[in-house]
Amino acid sequence: MSGNMRQYAFFLGCIAPNRYPGCEAAAIKTSEKLGIELLPLKGASCCPAPGAFGAIDLKVWYALAARNLVLAEEMNMDITLICNGCYKSIWEVNHILKHNDELRDGVNEVLAEVDMEFKGSIDVWHLIELYYDEKICGVEKVRASVTRPLTGTKIAPHYGCHLLKPKKERHFGDTENPMWFEELIDALGAESVQYRNKMQCCGAGGGVRGFDLTHSLDITNEKLINVQEVGADAITEFCPFCQLQYDRGQVEIAEKFGQVYDLPVLHYNELLGLAQGMTPQELALDLHAVDCKTFLEKIL
Amino acid sequence: MARVKDYGNAELEEKLQDTSYYADDANPQFLEDVKKLSRTAANMCFQCGTCTGSCPSAPRSSYRIRLFMRRGVLGLEKEALNDPDLWLCTTCYSCTDRCPRDLAPTDVIMAMRNLAFKVDIVPRNFLKTVQLIYKTGHGVPNNDVNRAARVKLGLPADPPTTHSYPEFIPGIQKIMDFYKMKENADRILSEGEQ
Amino acid sequence: MAETKEESRIGVFICHCGTNIAGSLSVEDVKEYAKTLDGVVVADDYQYMCSTPGQSKIIDAIKEHNLNGVVVAACSPRLHEPTFRTATEEGGLNKFRFEMANIRDQNSWVHMHDWEGATNKAKDQVLIAVAKARMLEDLQPKSVPVEHAALVLGAGVGGMQAALDLAGAGIKTYLVEKLPTVGGRMSQLDKTFPTLDCSQCILTPKMVDVGRHPNIELRTYTEVEKVEGYIGNFTITLRKKARGVLTPAEALERGIVGGGCNGCGDCSEVCPVIKPNPFEMGMAPRKAIYIYHPQVMPLLYTVDFDSCVKCGLCVEACGPEKRAIDLDSVDTFEEIKVGTCILAIGYDLIPIEEKKEWGYKQFDNVITGLEFERLICASGPTTGHLIRPSDGQTPMKVGFVLCAGSRDNTGGVAKPYCSRFCCMYCLKHAHQIMEKIPGAVPYLFYMDIRAFGKMYEEFYYRIQNEGAKFIRGRVANILEDPITKNLMVYAEDTLLSRPVAMEMDMVVLAAAIQPKPEAEKIRQMFGVSKSQDGWLLEAHPKLNPCGTTTAGIYLAGVCQGPKDVPDTVAQAEGAASAASIPIHTGEVQLEPYFAQCIDSLCAGCGMCVNLCPYGALALVEKDGRTVMEVTEAKCKGCGTCGGFCPGGAIKMQHFTSPQICAQIDAFLLKGEDY
Repeated sequence: MSGNMRQYAFFLGCIAPNRYPGCEAAAIKTSEKLGIELLPLKGASCCPAPGAFGAIDLKVWYALAARNLVLAEEMNMDITLICNGCYKSIWEVNHILKHNDELRDGVNEVLAEVDMEFKGSIDVWHLIELYYDEKICGVEKVRASVTRPLTGTKIAPHYGCHLLKPKKERHFGDTENPMWFEELIDALGAESVQYRNKMQCCGAGGGVRGFDLTHSLDITNEKLINVQEVGADAITEFCPFCQLQYDRGQVEIAEKFGQVYDLPVLHYNELLGLAQGMTPQELALDLHAVDCKTFLEKIL
Repeated sequence: MARVKDYGNAELEEKLQDTSYYADDANPQFLEDVKKLSRTAANMCFQCGTCTGSCPSAPRSSYRIRLFMRRGVLGLEKEALNDPDLWLCTTCYSCTDRCPRDLAPTDVIMAMRNLAFKVDIVPRNFLKTVQLIYKTGHGVPNNDVNRAARVKLGLPADPPTTHSYPEFIPGIQKIMDFYKMKENADRILSEGEQ
Repeated sequence: MAETKEESRIGVFICHCGTNIAGSLSVEDVKEYAKTLDGVVVADDYQYMCSTPGQSKIIDAIKEHNLNGVVVAACSPRLHEPTFRTATEEGGLNKFRFEMANIRDQNSWVHMHDWEGATNKAKDQVLIAVAKARMLEDLQPKSVPVEHAALVLGAGVGGMQAALDLAGAGIKTYLVEKLPTVGGRMSQLDKTFPTLDCSQCILTPKMVDVGRHPNIELRTYTEVEKVEGYIGNFTITLRKKARGVLTPAEALERGIVGGGCNGCGDCSEVCPVIKPNPFEMGMAPRKAIYIYHPQVMPLLYTVDFDSCVKCGLCVEACGPEKRAIDLDSVDTFEEIKVGTCILAIGYDLIPIEEKKEWGYKQFDNVITGLEFERLICASGPTTGHLIRPSDGQTPMKVGFVLCAGSRDNTGGVAKPYCSRFCCMYCLKHAHQIMEKIPGAVPYLFYMDIRAFGKMYEEFYYRIQNEGAKFIRGRVANILEDPITKNLMVYAEDTLLSRPVAMEMDMVVLAAAIQPKPEAEKIRQMFGVSKSQDGWLLEAHPKLNPCGTTTAGIYLAGVCQGPKDVPDTVAQAEGAASAASIPIHTGEVQLEPYFAQCIDSLCAGCGMCVNLCPYGALALVEKDGRTVMEVTEAKCKGCGTCGGFCPGGAIKMQHFTSPQICAQIDAFLLKGEDY
């Protein structure tokens, strides 16, 4: 790779590589066009899931997330990732351990068992924030990379929760009505649309999807109603777990509540891949539960 | 100070006893544990309800995060931990962003879930995630359909995670064993099956 | 040990302060210890040293033991130094032969659970105080005459009341207002709680009075530029902002007989520039030459030179007789001399749009309480018809968000304190809605209803009885229906434990209040501190709520902390009374903590002159040498010069270097002589 590429250790998590591999492929290819090289973080595990795992023992959550961080520390490289849930675990544990000696000492005590030590020497970024960051990439560079504008499509943004919230521990500012994701969507030639209660949760997090699927889907259903209301052609997000909830959730909602939306759900990297000329096959869009055909017809 | 009323009637004695809810069933240590685990000043809740008003789970269930905050303040450990609503928080952090007392109710819920696990109260799906991570390193592991799709995309059939490097799995297991997490998960799951 | 001039005969008196002190340390041990100290001839203790028998102990001991120094170990000198100085004086000593050791605020209150540690610390404190007492000197307070005039800054209801009281007491009073008219926030209000008086109706008589009172010098559209001096003798420079319009008097000065502005408004009619009127919270237009509202005092137009295009149409309309408009006018300065000053500079709403969850400035039909006041006011932009900004429709369901940014610890624009009048004005608004719009329902989302004033709780009862709905829960967020512009209000009815999502036609935010942005500059000019919450700091929160720590400067109204109209007026009258005392006394005594130049040591280098923050020092010729001289009345005894003087030629009275060194030595050497 040429020397002016910025290199990051690519933390994959679980759902992207194991359910929506198109997200992984798209992230690698789209970021390359934007001057970002993603290198495999060998031996990484689940982040581990902040809701399902942190809920039962925060200490293990700290330790396993720290193990993933140490892998990148050993590469001497910042981490980037494409999932809000992973961001909560990896970014937040890094942040907490850097600022809390007591917790760091506890984590290092157990990491010593596997000959590791958390040093706090790297930073963690969501790929979407690198895309938006003027110093790294910026909206204009994203716009310039587009070869097949998504003209004529109306796309509903879903920010999810764990990248932006809780706002006082993050650095993304307003969490009531942020607009920066819209800029990134509009840069692809698409039209971002506003809908009721944009910032509401998808319903999957906190282990609720596994604990009470109907309850979880009821939240998702409310969001889908609000998105459909404004005539969106697709939903886009930057969290494969939200994607799973919206995408497979539509099948489950059809079964449980009898409501059908047929709203394609695309990770921003998949959307960017399409706009940069990647084919649906290169993005494995056939693995999506909701057929993306109607959406693809508008742009291909 | 509570006095024996001496009504001379056991039933009346029972009926008319002091019923202050923070006497017998409260555990002040519960609040302290919650504060430590949640890293928020859980004792400072003034019950305005902004959290419940922000909560996506509240309108579709009996889950009231404000009630859990109250139980925390009063040390009502059993009442909090035995309430299945504890597991309905999606951890969206809307309440945390809006709380006027600058508290993190979401993290209070997470702390209470941690404390519930300590007394074997935990939904099965959480434990199954534990088992999967222990075995594969992933909460959502790869499968054959996905492997085929990955190969078509030009990606390795298994991602460069513990799936491709299983030599890392013993380290993960060691960390989890350090906290006896797998052991407890297995035990609780098998007890539940009996 | 440093030399003392005379044989020290010190009396030490230790106060129990009930159990405030005696409950946390051994008064007996401290007393016995004091008796062992060099120069101490008597040590005693008492339940309340500040009481008459306590003071008598001091007075009697001075006489009986021929004391030349008194130490009282008790509370803070801020509280009782004057008391014990008086006792010292009554015993026959110079009152500066007194030293206080604060073993309560700085000891027993903070070391409540450490008996031994607190006792030892008290011993050290007494040791140090005795060391200083042994070196105290007789000092004479300085008397200075007081200017028979006062300044009141800010002409809202508080400032006007203070000015009227001062003027009524025969004191010439400069009433200075930044805006073109007096009246302040209260003139923006429609009605006042709980009596429902028309706010303008009860305020305009005061506005008229301040305009015509012979003792009031009204200065509108004027700001304070510079403050110099000290109690009794403040010299204040006022900046009279370029108004572009002449009063009849000013016209006469220019030889225009019968000219000047008569408030006819012909100028405004022809002015082509349209700007939002801040008096109407921007909801009505005004021209570049304007008055805020018909009842302004003085009735005098003002040119907004920021937006004036100088087309000259107004000059033409004003005509050759009046010639009231001068588009070339510039700021002018005036120097006034006053004895005391009252600050009554008011408040602003916080920028509530920063609390994004409630959508102010994002959703048309979310308004603030002050905007509601203008919309419901008969003389307001809608002539009193409450309408939705989005479509002009009459709202039938109106939500009120109480504590919008008050009682909020999240930082940013939010305020941890209670803004104190929002509960009551929301109740009033609820009443007004039900009175004016048949069938309309107000919904008050509240955490607590704080109805603490006279007849306030009764008012709450009345509004509830009239049909207002109360929902005990703080509003989590508000969303707008993009088509109807209706608002969905999300909260929890905490009493039912039920989340609610209610569709409202309009929402009123009871936004928190904060100090004016210019308060910071003003308080620095006048040497006033601010409290933790940002408001101006009173001298004592309970016993001196109108005074400040700078002698001669007093506070009135919300600038000292949130308060409603009755409390503002009461404090204004208190401030006026306090500010009139030095003026009527005619002279004030200054603490003699002045710097003194020891001429024989002074090299006349003049370094200190530039360092002095109060301009109290100057170089003078004395006996053929250049030496520094202190203007004692200007000196605040800060010690900057004394600490700096390379020749050690400046002595800080009552805080001399030998005195301070003796205290340090006493503590470090614990009485041992090295």
